[in-house]
Amino acid sequence: MDTHQANLRPLIEAQKVSKHFGSFHALKEVSATFYEGQVTAIIGPSGSGKSTFLRTLNRLETHDSGSIRVDGIELNDDLKNLDAIRREVGMVFQSFNLFSHLTILRNVALAPIRVRKTSPAEAEAKAMALLERVGLADQAHKYPVQLSGGQQQRVAIARALAMDPKVLLFDEPTSALDPEMVNEVLAVMRELAHTGITMLVVTHEMGFAREVADRIIFFDNGVILEDTTPEALFTQPAHERTKAFLSQVKHGF
Amino acid sequence: MKWTRKNPGWVMFAAMIGLLLFLWGMAIPLAAAPDPIGPAAKQFAEGARVTVWLTLISGSVGVVLGVIAGLGKLSAFAPLRWLCNFYVWLIRGTPLLLQILFVWLAVPQILPDSLQISDFACAAIALALNIGAYNTECVRAGILAVPQGQVEAARALGLSPFQTFMDIVLPQSMRVALPALANNLASLVKDSSLAYAISVVELTMVGYRIQAESYQPIPVFLTIAMIYLILTTAFTTLTAALENQLDVGRKRQENS
Ligand SMILES: Nc1ncnc2c1ncn2[C@@H]1O[C@H](COP(=O)(O)OP(=O)(O)OP(=O)(O)O)[C@@H](O)[C@H]1O
Ligand SMILES: [Mg+2]
Repeated sequence: MDTHQANLRPLIEAQKVSKHFGSFHALKEVSATFYEGQVTAIIGPSGSGKSTFLRTLNRLETHDSGSIRVDGIELNDDLKNLDAIRREVGMVFQSFNLFSHLTILRNVALAPIRVRKTSPAEAEAKAMALLERVGLADQAHKYPVQLSGGQQQRVAIARALAMDPKVLLFDEPTSALDPEMVNEVLAVMRELAHTGITMLVVTHEMGFAREVADRIIFFDNGVILEDTTPEALFTQPAHERTKAFLSQVKHGF
Repeated sequence: MKWTRKNPGWVMFAAMIGLLLFLWGMAIPLAAAPDPIGPAAKQFAEGARVTVWLTLISGSVGVVLGVIAGLGKLSAFAPLRWLCNFYVWLIRGTPLLLQILFVWLAVPQILPDSLQISDFACAAIALALNIGAYNTECVRAGILAVPQGQVEAARALGLSPFQTFMDIVLPQSMRVALPALANNLASLVKDSSLAYAISVVELTMVGYRIQAESYQPIPVFLTIAMIYLILTTAFTTLTAALENQLDVGRKRQENS
């Protein structure tokens, strides 16, 4: 397939990953390889397993079988591996999940101080630079509740970037936002995509997926139904399910 | 009240200074009072200091016990859960006076003769165990109130379970648990009076002795009650200010 460029280094290799919730089979032998610098959009109907898949990649959910390697490190019960992987993989959540008792600056600086043992002064200087980058340096000393949803999500992106991750996972980063705030977050993500960081983005923003993503994956019922370029998926979807989903999205929910 | 809400640090400082001034200085105005209060002013002050010490020591240990047992109750390790449940069940189901007497009478039999502890220490241990059990429930409720997303965000950033607990879960749970913990501390000021039963010379014991010598219970007990009221007020002010301090980030503040 044209998304599997041989000249790129594989960063995440998922092989036959399965996940059950009780008797419910949420992921059914999902295999996919994500390459360095690639921006992948993950789309699909509600409940199809998009979040579950993303969350197995940094072990917020454990997988029942199959294997996941991140930057060559096997994701398993070995805590050393897990620590190493979580340092390489950043995550941005639908509901922001900023630490509500810490200032914006502290939110961004905390993980480098605790995990990378960066000095507080250095971590805060870097946090300020990142806040500058997402356009929120003037909000550094406020608390999360004092910010709008769009601003909080931009802080969450800065917080993830503070650990210098190789991969950023986004789980519907704009779904909890009022419509007028969606664009400010997408703008930051678009800018990020151009820096060459590897991104996996679960999204319902088809315009964004089409414009920014190098690759698009369509999830349905716990399997990857299509894995192709946005151009191909939007112009000639291979499956009826994909067609139905796309026309539903186009006509709004 | 707006100023006190906005400057909890100063309120805490003022309440602390007020408490200290009161503890060390109250003998002076009391000495000017008529019989039987005046001549016993120093005893009143000494008794109040013992009461405050007893409260602070058992209160602090009680918070630590509450955090440990509160966590234990949420542990995935069943025997630890049973142990913590048993502790809370035992303490909450028996009278405090019995617990104090038990520590005072039973512990010396258990400990070797070379390692005997004072009456004050017995009272402090019993009170700490007691308030610890009540704190356990508050801490547990506070921990359960921390949204799962906060923990996930911390873990995804690479914080260890222990760092996640210390940096994220504990401070956020305290915000929820603090009003209840403060309540427990205010009752502890009063509950510490039961230490008189094992002859710890705290405030109530002082009052009992002075009225026994003077045969004037009414002025003596009124004085004692007033001192207790001032102490509980100081503690309540302190904890309310601490609550405000921890409340930052929870709701929008006018001054930003
Ligand atoms: N912790 C859980 N316990 C039980 N079932 C779960 C759990 N998490 C997810 N599921 C189930 O697994 C299925 C896949 O969920 P997932 O959140 O991955 O879907 P999704 O594709 O992200 O959907 P959405 O677009 O609604 O976010 C759903 O049917 C969901 O109910
Ligand atoms: Mg989802």
